[in-house]
Order: sequence, then structure tokens, then C-alpha cells
Amino acid sequence: MGIEFRDVGKTYPGGTVAVAGFSHVVPSHTTVALVGSSGSGKTTLLRMVNRMVDPTSGAVLIDDQDVRELDKVALRRRIGYVPQAGGLLPHRTVVDNVATVPVLGGTPRRAARAAAADLLALVGLDPSLGRRYPAQLSGGQQQRVAVARALAADPNILLMDEPFGAVDPIVRRELQDEMLRLQAELGKTVVIVTHDVDEAFRLADEVVVLRAGGVVAQSGTPKNILAAPADAFVREFVGADRPDRTLSTSEIDGRRVVVDANGRPLGILQ
Amino acid sequence: MTWLQNNAAWVVELAWRHLLLALPAIAASVVLAVALGRVAHRRPRLRQPVLALASVVYAVPALPLLIVVPLVLSIPLRSPLTLVVALTLYGTALLVGTATDAFDSVDGQVRDAATATGHGRSALFWRVDLPLSVPVLISGVRVITVSTVSLVTIGALVGISSLGTLLTDGFQRGITSEVAIGVGVTMALALALDALVVVLGRVLTPWQPRRRSVRAPAPPELVR
Repeated sequence: MGIEFRDVGKTYPGGTVAVAGFSHVVPSHTTVALVGSSGSGKTTLLRMVNRMVDPTSGAVLIDDQDVRELDKVALRRRIGYVPQAGGLLPHRTVVDNVATVPVLGGTPRRAARAAAADLLALVGLDPSLGRRYPAQLSGGQQQRVAVARALAADPNILLMDEPFGAVDPIVRRELQDEMLRLQAELGKTVVIVTHDVDEAFRLADEVVVLRAGGVVAQSGTPKNILAAPADAFVREFVGADRPDRTLSTSEIDGRRVVVDANGRPLGILQ
Repeated sequence: MTWLQNNAAWVVELAWRHLLLALPAIAASVVLAVALGRVAHRRPRLRQPVLALASVVYAVPALPLLIVVPLVLSIPLRSPLTLVVALTLYGTALLVGTATDAFDSVDGQVRDAATATGHGRSALFWRVDLPLSVPVLISGVRVITVSTVSLVTIGALVGISSLGTLLTDGFQRGITSEVAIGVGVTMALALALDALVVVLGRVLTPWQPRRRSVRAPAPPELVR
């Protein structure tokens, strides 16, 4: 069960290699983050799952079935997809955006809208916002709508492409917390693409650090990667030597205060 | 104005015929131009040929076209269909460029996300591309609406009656007020339809912010 990347590669007609032979298994009900800088092929890999990109070699399997054997459109309707900012339909109200996939699948509009209102509440939005158009919402609210839309058909799989990349850090943090809460409740199989290693460490059970061309530099739990970066590239990429990652304790009045490399206090060690 | 009082019923009759010639041509132009614009947008190799053909068609002088169309379609010279076909050719030729731009104007990220959420080819066209192309498309529809209404008048030269009949008849008989009324009513009809298209555009694009010229209030620190 889950999603398997079996030695997938993508070479474009011009000869550009986006991904060269990537293998990885995403177990069901877990969150895997693909991280890397631009050109690492992370988005290409994500888009192979819902066949927005077909690999030129290897195969992607969902529950042991090659996705190329499935109808593209039907496949996409049963996979939730959260794009970067800009992905909502600007000419549809919020509630109709959320109801998009069920309506495409033949659910009567009225029923789909009623369900959409509940989903808005689930992602922490006031259902009264449902009548607005996306442009009338803040960036953070729009991304919540995008998450609600992705969940509308109750998919087992959720694909997120830099979902919180276009909002400010405070809102991003809120959205990440919301995502953790939702995931604890829903237990989807999530693949998230991000260039933000902190986001990957916060959200994912497993992190795959990619070099250029989809080559795995290291994969493992956030803890393991931070504890033992495989090489200098990973060490640099995850910021293992960053002041806020190199912590020490100092004892004050019998209590051990954790401080970062700049000496700023972060908390108390219990 | 006495001329109008004596001929009011005839003017209304001609205006009605004028409308019945203009509206089908406008509607057919929109459908054809959208179809061709779609092709030009989706197939880069056909783009230039389609747009060039549109220019060529638009460059054909009107009067010969009114002779050629009935010959090609083997319909009577004076059939209203002749004029509707000719006007549709002009309207389509004039609109196809804007229709192409209208499809070009649809945000690629929106299309990509729509595809990724499971819009098939036809759902993408009807639910995403077409509604989102309306804001640009409507500007072109306004142009062809006005131009078609005005062009209908040339049908009078080959005997297809419309408000243009007032122009030919007025010239031949030297009745200035008849010509003036023909021009005035034609223009009024064109402007009225244009206004209708504007309204239609607003109804079709409820998500667009209305550009009402509301002046923003001055920042408080400047209000003394």
C-alpha cells in the first residue's frame, strides 16, 4: 500500500534530465517531504503521482498499480492536490471552488456545496466566506481553501506543491499547525514538496533530500537526518550548523536553559 | 421631423429587420471566432495562418462579397442569408485576434491547477478557459457588435432592406431628413446593443472588481 516510485526518470525531448532513476516508497498514512533546491526534480516527482508528468523510465505505483494504467482524469479526481498560490479558480466562489471535484465527479451541486461548507469549517475558515471570490481572501485563507478543495473528494492521497510558499512566515506557521492537526485527524498519505527544510522537518514523518536531477542525497526521519547528515551537501542544506540548530544548555539557578549558538534562550530543558 | 412622423411605422419596421440581420451575424461571429481563436491559441503552428486568413477576409471589399456569397452558396442575391453570411465573415475576421488573446490571457497556473484537480479536456474549456476568457473577449464583441450593426446598411445596395434602405432611398430621392434618420437610428441601435453587451459582460463576470470611479478617501493624516 502507499505510493512507490520505482526507478523513475524523466528526460525531456531536448535531452534535459529532470530526474534520473529515483526510487522511494511512501507508506500509507504517512507524510513524506521531498526537499531540494530548484532543479532538484522534486516537483516533477510529485507530478508523476497524478500523471501531470509521465516518467520516461520506471513507474509510479499506487497500491501496487502502475498509474499509467489508470485514466488520467479519474486518477486526478481521487488524489487531492494543493498547488502554490494561484491555484484556485478566480471566477468561482470559495464554496464552488471547494465543491469542484465532487461536482466534476457528478455529485449534485447542492449536496457538494453543503459538504464544502463543512470542509471550510474543518480547515478553520468561517463558512460565511464561502460566498466570496478567491481574490477577496488573504493569501493564507486562499491556501486553506485550496486544502479544503483537495480534501473534498475524500482522497487517500494528498499532493502538496510548495503549498505554503507564497504566504508570510507567521501565516505559514499557522497553516503548518493546521496541517498537522488535520493529518492527525485524517491520516492521509501525503507527499509534500518544499524548498523549506524547516517546513519539511515540521510536517513530515520522513524527509527525502534531493540533489540536482532527483538524486537522493539522504532520506530518513527528520531526527536521523539532523543527527547524522550523510555528507556536506545535506549538512549545509538542512542547516545543521545554523545558530538555531546548534543548541547548548546553561544552568541558571539549578534550571537548565537551552540557548542557541548566539546565546539566545529557547526554552527550559525538562 | 415631419418626414419621421409620416414614416414612423416604416422606420420601426426597417429597424426591426436591421436587428434581425445583425443579431444572427453577431452571434455566429462570436461562436466562429471563439472556435478559431481556440485553435490559434492551442496550436502555435496554426496561429499565424489563422490570423493572416482573418486579415485577408476582412480586406475583401463588401460589395463584391455580397455578389460572391450567393454564387458560392447558390442562394438568391437578395436573400437576407447572403448578408448574414457576409457579416459573419467580417465579424469573425475582426474578432478572431481578440478571441486568441482572450484564451492567451487565462492564467497558466489556474489552468494547471484545474487540470491537476481532474478537469478533463471539455471541462477545462467550458468551466475554466471560456469563462476566464470573457473579460478580454467582451471587448472584441463590443467592437464587432457596433461594426456589424453599421455594416448591415450596405445590404440596401443589393436590395436587402434594413435601415440602410433609408440611406439609399433618401439619396435617390434627395430627402435629407430620411438619410439623417437612417444614420441616426442605425447609430442609436449600435450604441444600444453595445450597452447590452457591456451589461452581458458584467453578468458573465461577477468575480471581476467593478471599475466604478470611486475615489479613495484621503489618508487621515492629510485631512485637517
